[in-house]
Amino acid sequence: MMNNKNNHVPQQQDVQVRERMSLTFRRLSQKKWMDIWHGNPPGIILFVFGLIVALIMSIPIVYVIWRSLFAGADRWARLLDERIPQLLWNTLSLTVAVTACALAIGVSLAWIVVRTDLPGRKVWQWLLALPLVIPPYVGAVTYIIVFGPTGWARDVWRDTPWLVRTFGEYPLNIYSFWGVFFVLTMFTYPYVFLIASASLRKMNRNFEEIARSQGLSTWQIFWKVNLPFLRPAIGAGAILISLYVLSDFGAIAMLRYVTFTAAIYFQRASFDTASASILSLVLIVLTVLILWVESWTRRKNKYYQTSNSFKEPDILSLGKWKPVAIFFVFVIFSLAIVLPIAVLTYWSIIGIRMGALNERFFIFAFNSLKVSGFASLLCMVLALPVIYLKSRYPSVISSAIDKLSYAGYALPGVIVALGFIFIFNNHIPMLYNTFYMLALAFVVRFLPQAMQAGEASLSLVSPRMDEAARSLGYPPWKVMFTVILPNILPGILAGGALVFVSSIKELPATLMLRPPGFDTLAVRIWVDASEALYHLAAPAALLIIFISIIPLRYMLRKY
Amino acid sequence: MKKPFKLMLSVITSLLLVFSAACGSSNEQTSQPERDTENEQKLTGKLVVYSSRNENFVDPLLNKFKEETGVEVLALHGVEPLQLIEEAGNVQADIFISNDVGALEYLRMKGILEGFDAKGAETIDAQFRAEDNAWIALSVRARGFIYNKDLISEEEMPKTMEELMDPKWAGQFAITRGGNGSMIANVSALRREWGDEKTSQWVTAIKNNAGAIMQGHGDIRRAVGAGEFKFGLVNNYYYHQQLEEPTDNNVGFIYPDQGEGEMGVILNAAGVGLVKGGPNSANAKAFIEWLLKEENQLAFVGESLELPINPKLDPPYKHATKISDLKVQSMPLKELGQYFEDTKALIEKAGLDLELK
Repeated sequence: MMNNKNNHVPQQQDVQVRERMSLTFRRLSQKKWMDIWHGNPPGIILFVFGLIVALIMSIPIVYVIWRSLFAGADRWARLLDERIPQLLWNTLSLTVAVTACALAIGVSLAWIVVRTDLPGRKVWQWLLALPLVIPPYVGAVTYIIVFGPTGWARDVWRDTPWLVRTFGEYPLNIYSFWGVFFVLTMFTYPYVFLIASASLRKMNRNFEEIARSQGLSTWQIFWKVNLPFLRPAIGAGAILISLYVLSDFGAIAMLRYVTFTAAIYFQRASFDTASASILSLVLIVLTVLILWVESWTRRKNKYYQTSNSFKEPDILSLGKWKPVAIFFVFVIFSLAIVLPIAVLTYWSIIGIRMGALNERFFIFAFNSLKVSGFASLLCMVLALPVIYLKSRYPSVISSAIDKLSYAGYALPGVIVALGFIFIFNNHIPMLYNTFYMLALAFVVRFLPQAMQAGEASLSLVSPRMDEAARSLGYPPWKVMFTVILPNILPGILAGGALVFVSSIKELPATLMLRPPGFDTLAVRIWVDASEALYHLAAPAALLIIFISIIPLRYMLRKY
Repeated sequence: MKKPFKLMLSVITSLLLVFSAACGSSNEQTSQPERDTENEQKLTGKLVVYSSRNENFVDPLLNKFKEETGVEVLALHGVEPLQLIEEAGNVQADIFISNDVGALEYLRMKGILEGFDAKGAETIDAQFRAEDNAWIALSVRARGFIYNKDLISEEEMPKTMEELMDPKWAGQFAITRGGNGSMIANVSALRREWGDEKTSQWVTAIKNNAGAIMQGHGDIRRAVGAGEFKFGLVNNYYYHQQLEEPTDNNVGFIYPDQGEGEMGVILNAAGVGLVKGGPNSANAKAFIEWLLKEENQLAFVGESLELPINPKLDPPYKHATKISDLKVQSMPLKELGQYFEDTKALIEKAGLDLELK
C-alpha cells in the first residue's frame, strides 16, 4: 500500500507539474505571440486568410525545389557536366549584354528628353515609353518577319545586285545571340528610361550650378554629378531588366536561342521532368542572387537630395548636337515602335481580308478575357488581406507572408507552371486541366502587382479609421472589408487592371497549363507565328497591344 | 491621381460586364446539343482529343464531327505521347491522334490505350491496326527525298538512305531536327534494319552532311522548292504539297532503297487511339466508328495529301504513287513501338539535337 501511495503522490505531482507547465507554456506562447505582433495581433480569420495566400503563392516553387533534390545524382552529374555550363554562359552573357545596352539606351534617352531642348520633348516622354505595351515575343515575331531568313529584308537584298556583289549572300541571321540581344534590348529599355527620367526630374539644380561655377563642362557634370545621383535608378533598372531576361521565354524561344527558361520548357516538353526541375533550381538560385545583390546595394548606397532648396533642373541647349539627338531618338522609336506596329498592321489587314476575325478568333479572345478576368478578380480579393496584415499588423510573420507572396513574381513563369503541373496532376486532380488552374497560376505570378497598387492607396488611409471601427467592436477582417476596402478601392482596381493585362500577355505558363480546347490569344500568336501563319498571328497581337495600353498611364505615374 | 483611377474603374466594370454576359451565353451554348435530336447518332457531352498531328489537318476533321453529332470537341494540339503516361492516374483525354504508329503502339504496350471492336475496323489492313484495335491507322506516308529538278537530275540523286552518309552530299540537303516524330520513326526503322551502331553513324553523318537542320518538313519542302538546297529528307506527302504550290513547284521525289536486295521504302502511318478510362468513353468509341466511315477516312487524310490506307479509297492527291507499287521495308509498323522509348536518346547521343538551338 505504502508503495502504492508513494507511487501515487509523484504521479499526482507529475500531473500538477505538467498542468502548470502547460499553463506556463500557453502563457509563454501567448506572450511570444503578442510579442511577435507588438501587442496587437490580428484576428484569427484575417491571419489564417493571409497564411493561406502565402502558402498558395509559395507551394509551387517549394515543390519544384523538392523534386529537383530527388532527381538523382546521375542526372545532376550529367546536367552539371553537359548542360549547365553552356546554359549558364548563354543565359548570363545575354543578361549582361541586354542589361548593359538597355541601360545605355534608357539613360541617354532619359537625359536627352528630360534635360535638353529636344523638340517635342513632352511627347517623346510618352512615345519612348510605348514599347512597354509590346510583349517581347510579339516584337520577336515582327523582327522575324522583317529580318528572318525568308523575310522582307532578305528579298530586298536578293533583288539588289550591288549588295549581293559587294557583300555576298544575305548576311543577317536573326536566329542568333545578336538577334535575341537586339530584340530584348529594344523592348526592355523603357523600364530604365522611365526610372531614369523620374530621378532626373527630381535632380536638384544647385549641385550642377556649383559644379559649373568650378569650371566643369556639361560632359564632366554628367559624369561627376548627374551619374552618381542616377546610380540608384540605374541599379533598379538593371535589376528589373536582368530579372526580365532571366525569365523571358517567348522572345528567346522564338528566336531559337536557349537560356534556362527555354531549356526548362523543352525538357518539360519532352517529359524529362526531373531534369527540368534541376535546371529550375539553378535558375531559382540565379534569381535569388540577383535579388540579394539588389537588397545589398540598396542598403549600401544612399543618396540624399536636399529638399528645402530644391530648384528644378534647367534645360540644356543641344546646339550643334541637335540633329544627332533627334536622329538617335528617332531611330530607337522607329525600331521599337514604328516597325513592329507597322508590320503587325500590314499582316492584320491581310489577315482580316482573309477572314482571320472569324468565330475561332473571338473564342480565343473570349478565353483570354475569361481567364485573365478571373485571375484579376482573384488577385484583387487575395491581395487585400496580405497588404492589410502588412500595413496594420507589422511583424515577422506578416512580412514573411508578404515576402512569400513575391516568390512567384520574381521567378520565371516556366517554373511556376512546372510546380503547378506536379501539384495539380498528383494532388488536386479535380482542378487539373481546367481553366481555374491556369487562372491560379496567373495569381501566383502577378499577385504582387495588385499588392503594390493596393499598398499605395492603403498608405493614404489613416490607421485611426481602423481603430475607430475596432473600438466599435468589429473584428479585424470585418474592418478590412467594410471600412478600408471602400477607401482603397481605386488602388485595388488599378492593381486588378495590371494583373489583367499581364495575364493576357503571359505566354509560358499559358502554353504549359492551358486545358484542351482552351487556346488563348497569346497561345495562338505563338502557334501561328511558329507555323509562319502571320496573317493569323498579327490581329491577335495587335489586340493584346491595344489592351495593354489601358494601364500604361498608371504605370507611367508609378515612376 | 483621380482621373486614371476613374478610367480604370470604368474599364474594369465594363470588362466584368462583358465577362459575365459572355459566361451566360456560353451556358446556353452547352445546352444546345440536347435539343438537337435530328442527328443520326444521338450524342451529347464532350470529347477530349489529344493530338500530335498537324493542327491544320486535325481541326477540320474535328469540326466535321462536331457539326454532324453535336458533341463538343475539346482539342489539345502538340501533345507528346508521354503526357498521356504522366496523366495515367488522372486520365484527361478520350482520344489520341498521332502521326506515328510507334507512339501509338508504345502507349498500347504501356497500358494507356484500350482495345475495342470498332465497326468498320476491317476496312483497314491488319498490319495497320493494333492486335486489339486499341489504335487504328488511317493514312500512310513514305520517307524519301524531295529534290529540285532545276538543280539536280533524277539520275544524279542518291537512291538509298545509306548514300546520305557520303561526304559528297555535304551541304546540299536539308533534314529536320532530331525530335520530329517522322524523323524519330525513320531512325527507329533503321535501327531494326541495321542495328544501333550503324544507325548512330548514319545519324551523325547526316547531321554533319546536312546543309541545314530545320524545324519541320514544311520548311524543307519550301526551301528545296525555292532552290536553297538540291534535296531534302521528307515524307512523300510534302512532295505532293509542294507540287500544288503556285510557284517553286518544279520538284521530284525519290522513293529510296527500291533496288534488288535493298531494304525498301520506310513507311509510317497516322491514326487514332482509344484512351483507357477516358472521361467520355462512349463518345470516344462513337468517334472512332464515325471516323471509320469511308468519307471520314478521307477527311482524316484531309489536306495532308497522304495516302488513305483503305484500298477502296482514291488518294486525294490523284498522281500519288500507290504504296502497293513500292517495295516496302519488311518490318511490321507495330514494331516501331518497341523502339520508341530509346530512339530519341540514340539520336541525341549521335549528335543530332532534338530541338533547334
